[in-house]
Amino acid sequence: MMLRDRFDQLLIVALVGVLIFTAVLMSGAGPRDDNQDAQAANRRFEREMLHQARVAFIERHYSPVITLRDNGSLPDALLKLEELSRTLPGEAHNDLLSGDILLRMGQFDRAVSKLAKAVRSNADYVDSASPLSERPLIESAVLEGLPLIRDRLRVLPDNLTLAKVLKDGYYLQSRLAGGCE
Amino acid sequence: MSLSLRDRHLWVVLAAGAGLGVLGALLSVWGNPQNSGICVSCFIENTSGALGLHDNERMQYLRPELIGFVLGSILCASLFREFRSRGGSAPLARLVSGVFLIVGSAVFIGCPIKLFLRLMAGDISSLAGLFGLIAGVWIGLQGLARGVDLGRAENERGATGLLVPAGFILLLIFLLARPSFLLFSDRGSAAQHAPLFMSLAVGLLLGVLAQRSRFCVTGSVRDGLLMGTRSPLLWGFFAFLIGAFVTNIVMGRFTFGLYGQPGAHLEYLWSFLGMLLVGWLSVLIGGCPFRQLIKAGEGDADAGLAVVGMLLGGGLVQSWGVAATAAGVATSGKISVLVGLAFVLLISLLFRDRTV
Repeated sequence: MMLRDRFDQLLIVALVGVLIFTAVLMSGAGPRDDNQDAQAANRRFEREMLHQARVAFIERHYSPVITLRDNGSLPDALLKLEELSRTLPGEAHNDLLSGDILLRMGQFDRAVSKLAKAVRSNADYVDSASPLSERPLIESAVLEGLPLIRDRLRVLPDNLTLAKVLKDGYYLQSRLAGGCE
Repeated sequence: MSLSLRDRHLWVVLAAGAGLGVLGALLSVWGNPQNSGICVSCFIENTSGALGLHDNERMQYLRPELIGFVLGSILCASLFREFRSRGGSAPLARLVSGVFLIVGSAVFIGCPIKLFLRLMAGDISSLAGLFGLIAGVWIGLQGLARGVDLGRAENERGATGLLVPAGFILLLIFLLARPSFLLFSDRGSAAQHAPLFMSLAVGLLLGVLAQRSRFCVTGSVRDGLLMGTRSPLLWGFFAFLIGAFVTNIVMGRFTFGLYGQPGAHLEYLWSFLGMLLVGWLSVLIGGCPFRQLIKAGEGDADAGLAVVGMLLGGGLVQSWGVAATAAGVATSGKISVLVGLAFVLLISLLFRDRTV
């Protein structure tokens, strides 16, 4: 590149000036853009608040179910969940708790399907870093449930419902294994 | 012409292949998601998310490996006087091809490198993708033999080839300075990553090796189909497979099976078609997503446009729900792959020299 005339020299000087000015702004030595920092902080705050609100919401609505479950009144807990599903249709935590209770009742196939539905709606349940993480529950459902479902399917190979449950089990297994998605 | 063990280029190719395999598997051990130690399409989706091109809170991280690939390539190309600004060959077609490279990869869940990393970790559900990739490369070669050609890149004035590497230098500055507008996941797969400087160093090393060797996964498959065992790239590819396999075994990361594999689904037809799209496009534009990054670092503005298209695609596949998950492939993903196949068929019709 040949720098021939005054115009080239002017361009170079302007370029160096712009780069220096950019570097000054980026280093934080220049005037701070408080508005942008505040927006970013707001965005992080809103994200965190939304997350905490969700956890609080779940605790508030599902605490009666959890009490019943912890007291061993599993059928009553399921009935309460049924009632809640009418006011909170499609809520993933409903499926998660159903899966948990069904697992305690030894109904592995229904438990696995419910847990898979919950994880499909909210992947936080298999994420160790999330306050909603329920990895140990899901791991135990997969560990105990999958061999039983496989055995039953060997006896009833044409049972399509059971085949679907097995697929749900494999889905949970895959989510527990990790991967990038 | 037979291969000679005295050929220095062969050893560089072997080092690049083995490096990619070993380090690709090790990055998972060091913190990257399971079987995704190196996955250019996943990393592109993460990077698009970090730049605010999509709002999936679980897929936002500026992956240092990508920056390392491009900067390693430009450093090496400059050192060996191979940096040359070139471009001007069907730029928009390449940009859109970049988008569809990510669409095909996202539907399979992984780029061609990850396909083999998954396979070498025992995930045999990825075999459908392997057959798709080979079929795509084969169809692409049939097209090339019949005159389908996007045209030759010309030397360009004005050092346009520096623009994409400059963009990646800016990303490096962003990564180190962490300006407030960047987004970083605190959960999900993007929150899983190897230490920053380790990832960057691995990226730089692989960028240098890939630039020197011209190593590319789809290029290896292509050369294997064309030249058989006389192709150095094919031997590099075997080194890649062996490196990844041995590392996975040694690190206890090998789990053989079809079911319950990390980041995998069981919709084989769509895995096949997704990778077919990637293989076919890669032959047409001269390399897989990884190779596009390396070529962009060498000053190839056409590859640079494919990289820009990949970043755009990374945003779109997440925003539009095109990317598959372990639950399977969404209808939008299936439609996108079919649109991608329609695009590559159209390109083959429109860019065909019928005098050949």
